[in-house]
This record gives sequence, structure tokens and C-alpha cells, in this order.
Amino acid sequence: MEFFSQGLQGLIDGLLTGGVYAMIGAGMSLIFGVMRVVNFGHGDFVILGMYAAFASNQYLKLDPYVSLLVVLPLAFVFGFVLHRAILAKLLGANDQTTKLATLGLGLIATNLVLLQFGTEPKTVYTEYATNAWRIPLFGLELRISEVRFYAVIITALLIFGLNMMLYRTELGRAIRATAQNRLGAELQGVDTKKIYAIVYGIGVVLAAAAGVLLLPLLSATPTLGSVFTNKSFVVTILGGLGSLPGAIGGGLILGVVESLGSSLFPLMNSHFGANYRDAYGLIIFLIVLLFRPEGLFGRTVKRV
Amino acid sequence: MSEHTSQTRGMTTVPPLVLLAIVVVTIGLYPLIFGQFMNLGISILLFAGFALAWDILGGWAGQNSLGNAVFVGIGAYSVAILHQFGIAPWWGMLVGIGVSGLLAWGWGALTFRLRGSYFTLSTIAVAEIIRLIALNEDWLTSGSEGKNLGSLPSLFGLDLFDRRVEFYLVLLFVAALLAFGHWLKTAKLGFYLRAVREDEDSAMALGINPARAKLTAFVLMGMFTSIGGGLWLLYLGRIDPDTALVIPVSIQIALLAIIGGRGTIYGPLVGAFIIGIPSEIFRSVLKEANLLVYGVLIVLVIVYLPKGIVGTFEEWLYKRQHPLEKRGS
Repeated sequence: MEFFSQGLQGLIDGLLTGGVYAMIGAGMSLIFGVMRVVNFGHGDFVILGMYAAFASNQYLKLDPYVSLLVVLPLAFVFGFVLHRAILAKLLGANDQTTKLATLGLGLIATNLVLLQFGTEPKTVYTEYATNAWRIPLFGLELRISEVRFYAVIITALLIFGLNMMLYRTELGRAIRATAQNRLGAELQGVDTKKIYAIVYGIGVVLAAAAGVLLLPLLSATPTLGSVFTNKSFVVTILGGLGSLPGAIGGGLILGVVESLGSSLFPLMNSHFGANYRDAYGLIIFLIVLLFRPEGLFGRTVKRV
Repeated sequence: MSEHTSQTRGMTTVPPLVLLAIVVVTIGLYPLIFGQFMNLGISILLFAGFALAWDILGGWAGQNSLGNAVFVGIGAYSVAILHQFGIAPWWGMLVGIGVSGLLAWGWGALTFRLRGSYFTLSTIAVAEIIRLIALNEDWLTSGSEGKNLGSLPSLFGLDLFDRRVEFYLVLLFVAALLAFGHWLKTAKLGFYLRAVREDEDSAMALGINPARAKLTAFVLMGMFTSIGGGLWLLYLGRIDPDTALVIPVSIQIALLAIIGGRGTIYGPLVGAFIIGIPSEIFRSVLKEANLLVYGVLIVLVIVYLPKGIVGTFEEWLYKRQHPLEKRGS
């Protein structure tokens, strides 16, 4: 019985965390789908979002959720300018080169944060951080953490918005056209350089939003950047590089695997538990990479 | 006229062995001049060694590994763990070489079927898994505390804790890698690797087995890197997962080689010095943020010198020697 209730609780926690992973992965997947570049700095932008929310809480006394209104537009401008100023210069180069440039940009971002805020973990105090709703279900009591719940709701809204933008607006049509065939889009009068910059901006927005939503849950540490970059790789590879619905599925799977791995294993063998939390996702990632590099869903590498 | 050409050709006309000897002897003078900066010299040279090893796969075969910390860690931990049982470091290094070679072989056999970024992604994942193992399997690695070296046996009457002895051991390691680089440039394997780097399909059409060529380079890289890992342990006197196995170490190794110039023999060495010195100068300002130097330099190099410092210099030299030849870049 304990196994079952632990499992169910793990599943719920996993789905809730997975929602945020899905958003990180969606940004990465969008960038890959349109620009064909693996964004190695993605996790560092999550950290940037976390610290932006921390700073606006510290200096402007904003609630982390309210700070989204400030952080997200800034993140978009940041990503747009970053692409215009640096990545656009590398458009003709091979993807290896651009990949290394994104890695360098991520390093700069993280280390500037490190320089400004130091290595000590930063936390934001909110009254609701530890609140949870208790839901009785078949004699079991399940806890739904309030913060995680809000995170999932906001993630869902952002992803829904992204989807509407991609499929219901002229800009979205231009983005999809650029993803399918850059030259073709160019011939139809789409300014693909601008589209690239916009897409990079949106990618950074999604990463930063995830950072803001995670802030009440975790404490912000600059060195977590590579952890989040790893997670976004796992999510996008699970779902297939460049596929948006895949990224959502991949994010949920990663969340559940991590959560179940660390909540169920201790019941059998205390040694593998929370200690290996990050390893479960990576192992699944390697297995998928080896046997289904096109991702769990879809036959071929799908584009946005 | 003939004098003019021989002068401008510079690097290309110097016989490889002479060039190698000049470079090694010049570096060998370091302890005599900068005796008080031995630690800086050893770490720069050691990372030059790691980067040179990285270049075997990253430069010549074009496969970027971002997980080389694994081999550094295996090399260091093999020496440290066997040291507890009274086994001398050089035997520990041999074991490290063996383990690294086997790991690289198995890992490469599985992942080199994939192309593009997939290999790079797998290296990061494997490196993270190995780090988590080293952190959690206390019985083998003492977890986050790490392993200490107590006393060391002397090697041919030399004290292995003497900084100068360590410096020349590391220099020997670097010299071996440079010699290997010269050999690779003219060897069949080197041509195979370059062919695979430029175009896998065409290489295959010529009868080259790309997966096997990459695998050979990967195994060699792993073995060389693990020797460096063993030397790093001797220098530090201790090892723990947060020093040797973290992602920043892997990134540093790769970026040194890329900034210096991939596939140019001397590029990684130049890169290590060009980055090592400003990192040291800004150490007190940057503290833990020392990777900022790497980040800024890699972006600048990628945008303005895509072939790296040595690569761009060689291209400039080539253009000077062949003023009439138009070379598409």
C-alpha cells in the first residue's frame, strides 16, 4: 500500500515538475526546429530567469509570479539582441560552430550572474511556498504543492499562447515557413534573419519563464545552468529534436521518471534514491539516443 | 628570391622534429625563469595536454566531445584507488589507460552510428552519470570527500611531489602528444580522420570505415587524457568529483583546443597559454567566475577567427606564400 501511495504521489509530483521541464524543452526544440542549432546555452538562460526574478523580488519587492511581467519582455529583447549581434553573424557557418557560440554565450551569462551574486544559493521567501492542497482519494491522501500547481498552469498558458501564435498568426506562419524551407520563405518575402532573432527571443523567454517558475521551488545557484541544459537535451531528445508536442511529452516523462525513481527506489534499496535523481533521466536519454534517436514519438525528425 | 621564400614559409619549412624540439626546449626553460610560478606553469601545461588529446578526436575527426572530464577522472581515480593498496602511480596510470580505452571503445561503438550533435550530447550525459557514480559510490571513490595521496614512492630517485619533477613529467606528456600530432598529420589514420571530418559519405565511398576511424581516435583520446588525469592527481595530491568530473572541466578542455585552433597540432598548446595567462591575471577579480574568460574568448574566436588562433595564422601564412592563389574559405 505504501508503495502504491508513494507511487501515485510521485506520479503527481513528477507531472507537475515535468510541466516546467516541458517548457524548457519547448524553447530548445523551437530553436532547433527553426534554426537547426542545438542551443547549448539554454540552461544558462533558465538561470538568468531565476536571478532576474530574484533581483526583482529583492529590489522591487515583486512576487515571483508578478515579476514574470517584467522578466519575460526583457528576456525576449535579450534573446533578440543576442541573435542580432552575434549569432546572426554565423548564419552561413556549420551548425557545430553556432553550437559552440551558444555554449560561449551561456558561459558568459552564467559567469556574469556568478560575478554579481556569488556562489551562495539565493532563495525567495513566499508565504505559499510550502502550502499544499490535500486531496483524499480512495483512502489515500495526495498532496498537490501549490507552487508546482501554479507553475504548471502558467506553463500551460504560455505553451497554449505559443501554439496559437504559431498556428493562428501571420508571424507564426512565417516562422513555420522558415522552419520548413528558409530559401522558400525568403522568396515569399519573409525576413528570415528577423524570424531567427524572434525565435531565439521566444526560446529565451520560455527558458527564463521556467527559471522564474522554479524559483519558489528551488534555490537559485549559478552552477545549475549545466543541469538545466542537460534536462533540456533529455526532454528534446525524448520528444524528438524540433517537435513541440514531443517536447511536452518528453518533459512530462522526464519529470515522472525522476520523481518515481527517487521516491520508489528507496523503498527497495536505500542506496539508489534521491542520490541518483538526475541519473535516471540521463540513462533514459542515452537509451533513447541509441535506439530511437528520432525521439519516442513520430517516425522522422519532425519540425515545428 | 630563394632566401625570401624560405623566410616567409616559416613554419612549413621547419622540419617537424626541429620545431617540436624548439617548442619543448623553450617550454622546458620555464622553471628556470618563472621558478616562483610553478603551479601556474603546471596547470597550463596540463590543460594543454588535455586539449591536445581532445584534438585527436575533436580536431582531426571533427567530433566534439564535451565529456572528457570522464577520462581525467578515471586516470586520477585509478592512481588514487590503487595507491591505497600500495600500488605505484605508474601502474595505476596503466590501469587508468586500460579502463579509459575500454570505456571509450564501448561508448564509441554505441554512439558513432549517430551523426551531428548526437555524439556531443551523449558525451555530456555519460560524463554526468560517471560523476554521479563517483559522488555516490563511497566504497570505491570516498564520495564527495575524494581521495588523498599520502606518500609517493620515488621515480628513479626523483621526488614526485617536487614541482619541478611534476613540471617535466607533464612536459613529457605534452611532448608525446605533440609528436603524436606530427605523426598523425602524415599517417594514414590522420588522412582517414580528416576525410571523415570533411564528408562522411565521401569518405565511405573511398573505402574508409568512418565509425572505425572515429572509434580509433576516440580510444586514443581517452587513453592520453587518462595519463593526464594521473599526472593531475600527482600535482594536486588529492582528487574529488567536484574537481575532476564536473562539466566545466570538460568544457575548458574543449574550448582551449577550439580557441587555439582545431587540427593544427600546436593549436591546443597555444590556446592553453593564451587563456591560462589572462585567467590567472583576473583570478582575484573573477574568483569562481573564471569561465567568463573562456566564454568571451570562444565567442570572439568563433565570430572573428573560426579556424582558431593557430589555424588563422597558418591560413595567413599560406596566403602570403601563395599570393596568386585564390582560396575560397
